[in-house]
Amino acid sequence: MHLALPRLSAGVLAAAALAWASPELLARGTRAHANGAQEAPEGGALFVRAAKVIVRPGEVLADAGIIVQDGVIVAVGAGLERPAGAREIAGEVVCAGFLDPWSTLGLDRGALRDERTSPASPTADALDLYGDDHLRLDAARAGVTSARLQAGEKSSVGGLGVVVRNAPDLERERALVVEDAGVAASVGLSVGQSRGRGPSVKDVFDRVKDVEKLGDLIEAGRKYHEDWVEYGYEIAEWEKAIAEKEAELEKDFKKAQKAREKEVEDAKEKGKEHKEKKYKEDKRPKKPKLDEDKEVMARVARGELPLLVEVHRAAEIRHLLELTAHFDQLRLVLCGATEALPLAEELAERDVAVIVWPSPLGTDRADHLRKHDLALAGRLAAAGVGVLLGSGGESAATRDLPLLAGLAIGHGLDREAAFAALTEGAARALDVADRLGTLERGKDADLLVLDGEPLVSTTRVRYAVVAGEVVVTPDN
Amino acid sequence: MLANTLLFALASTGTDPVALPSPVRAEGELAIRAAVVHVGDGKRIADGTVLVRAGRIAAVGAGIAVPDGAAVIEHDGHLSAGLIAMRDYSGSAGEGADSTRPVLPAAELAYAYDPEHPDFERLARAGITSVVIAPPFSAPPVQMPELPEGFFFPGFSFETPSAPLVGGSTALVKVGSGRLVQRRAQLHLSFSESALGQDAAPTSYPGALALLDELFANPSGALADAKSGRLAVVLYAGSNQEVQRAVAFAQRHGLKGAIAGAPRAGELAKAIQAAGLGVICAPFSPGIETRALRAVAELAEAGVPFGFALDAPERDPESLRLGAAACVREGLDPDVAWAALTSSAASLLGAAAEIGSVAAGRQADLVLWSGPPLDLGSTPVAVYVDGQKIHGGAQ
Repeated sequence: MHLALPRLSAGVLAAAALAWASPELLARGTRAHANGAQEAPEGGALFVRAAKVIVRPGEVLADAGIIVQDGVIVAVGAGLERPAGAREIAGEVVCAGFLDPWSTLGLDRGALRDERTSPASPTADALDLYGDDHLRLDAARAGVTSARLQAGEKSSVGGLGVVVRNAPDLERERALVVEDAGVAASVGLSVGQSRGRGPSVKDVFDRVKDVEKLGDLIEAGRKYHEDWVEYGYEIAEWEKAIAEKEAELEKDFKKAQKAREKEVEDAKEKGKEHKEKKYKEDKRPKKPKLDEDKEVMARVARGELPLLVEVHRAAEIRHLLELTAHFDQLRLVLCGATEALPLAEELAERDVAVIVWPSPLGTDRADHLRKHDLALAGRLAAAGVGVLLGSGGESAATRDLPLLAGLAIGHGLDREAAFAALTEGAARALDVADRLGTLERGKDADLLVLDGEPLVSTTRVRYAVVAGEVVVTPDN
Repeated sequence: MLANTLLFALASTGTDPVALPSPVRAEGELAIRAAVVHVGDGKRIADGTVLVRAGRIAAVGAGIAVPDGAAVIEHDGHLSAGLIAMRDYSGSAGEGADSTRPVLPAAELAYAYDPEHPDFERLARAGITSVVIAPPFSAPPVQMPELPEGFFFPGFSFETPSAPLVGGSTALVKVGSGRLVQRRAQLHLSFSESALGQDAAPTSYPGALALLDELFANPSGALADAKSGRLAVVLYAGSNQEVQRAVAFAQRHGLKGAIAGAPRAGELAKAIQAAGLGVICAPFSPGIETRALRAVAELAEAGVPFGFALDAPERDPESLRLGAAACVREGLDPDVAWAALTSSAASLLGAAAEIGSVAAGRQADLVLWSGPPLDLGSTPVAVYVDGQKIHGGAQ
């Protein structure tokens, strides 16, 4: 996949062509939702009705309905009627399905512990979409309908993560929401394990190196991008110069040809070798070497892909922030960030989001989790930091994310903020907000029908709809 | 150690050696008014009042008269009995077993804990007011879909048995004061692999069972109490196979009590119910297999009484409520889940008249929650044990 050169973006042309060709795809881009029944098509596949529809955090419709067709929400509003032939499901509350931004559910087991990943390692190739179906169904039954997965989760540089839907028996095309959800990295995690003893703590010098290595990678990416941009200009200049020179030579072609023939003959007479005249334009600008890893890191440096770094200790977080301060387009997201509270102000200022892992831990915990506290999410949010909630990369724990969110709420996180974190917030951070996270026309139909308020621990999921299909019913 | 000697001396005088000296009780009564009072049997009282006198609940009801001079606390939230953890190691980690002697029926876990240990404060913050201190069990690996790397079992070694075969009597202890409610709550027996050693007897299942049968053939002391039904038993079993052996053993000797350990014991609910036993459910971790959570619902369906183990401080005390909430998600009735944390747990310990519900005559172990107690989004605002506040802010 080539770097899009700045002059002419093939992507823009392609997008325009596609949009022109398919009005349905155009509709995906629209944000407004219908407030009436007028655009509901006949024979819609699914009709969802609820006493309360949570369109997005803070926006609620009473006694409303949603019409889903071909996996997409085509209408949302109060007073909608069930289209003829549509299946109807109903409940107390309907909201968007939850997105776990820190999960490994559905990854090939080997890929999880792979320590030799590099930025271009595609997690998409490590997906095991057929195994662990029961785990995916469990997650959907608990309300977590999609997740960001990461190969090489705990290695110092992860790879290109993906966002995937949690439903059993879903074909790859519909399961994979996005193949490049971001690049993951980790700093200062305890390494390896020895049987019966627990992980050993990475020594402090290695931890410092982790941060610097990450800084170097981003810098290499930025430089790669610069080199290619420069090459782009150089090539353009060169081609222009060639054209000009050729035009010039064309004009006096006969004269130049005669002059050259004379030179050749002169050289023959004198017995010397004729040297061809050299033009400086002969020298073509050198193309930078293609490097997929640097290409990915260039996208990270440009802010096109977020960089999700698992880091816990305050010193390492501070070091990371210092090192990345001059990459002003970089989108940094911290995972874990156990000791981030003293740096909350800077994190808020620099718009660095934090994925908190609100899991209950006992005394037997890894060294980097020494200060782990369930109150972290609430305290960071109160300090203005963008807080997300994740299940910490333990695959089966994705199912328990809503309960962990409950714990975070009990320890100080605002209920609405927790809901936003699991829906719109996570979708925005992972660049899938055009498809997931809220219930609006044009978005994918990933939604939950609940028998009570979302994130209250005793609320049960009655139905879960994933990619427009009813995956969970009260019977399973 | 001086402390041990002192404890021993006190023990011989017959007084309770391990509790902290009780602070002077405030004279007079306490009346707590709450928006919702959870009595414990599924009944809820709206705008109820609980009257506390001399460490016990004097009266509960809507609109009962508050005596003059009583301190009144208004709580705009929920009130319930304190949570009971059916197995815990707070303040006693590492001290619960004599690794050189696998059979010690006379041992009392009441000597193993330190009531001033900071572990207890963490319990209070989670709304837990009573715990059962038990000998260690060092469970063999549980079938989890993915074990975290380097999973570490305390005390696990290949040479000597890491859990005692007959560990002695568990102790029911109050959080906060450390007061012993029951010095000998249950006799702890292990049917698990961790009670088997390589070079030290018993080294095999048949060997262990033969030894246990022998002990119960001519029992004395605590063993006799167990056989006669005066003392309940805890039968620790790691796998369902071990559970079956334990159930059969209990029936053979007419023992009453509970099975503990196996996360999917619920799959044998019928057999357990037929033997008249209860279950102490294994503690919860995020990611634990769904079958284990569903097995708890199966226990409820079969009418088997059960409670939840906690195993703090290795686990965060919040795991107790978290586990109950996870079981509810997988189909357990919320009222049964709540009972398992309070009144059912008390019944399993034969202490239902003392703790586990908000009713006249019970000890005043109360938690004031910010919202419905089974919602993890609710948090304890104040916690009372024996009528004394052990956790809580301005109120």
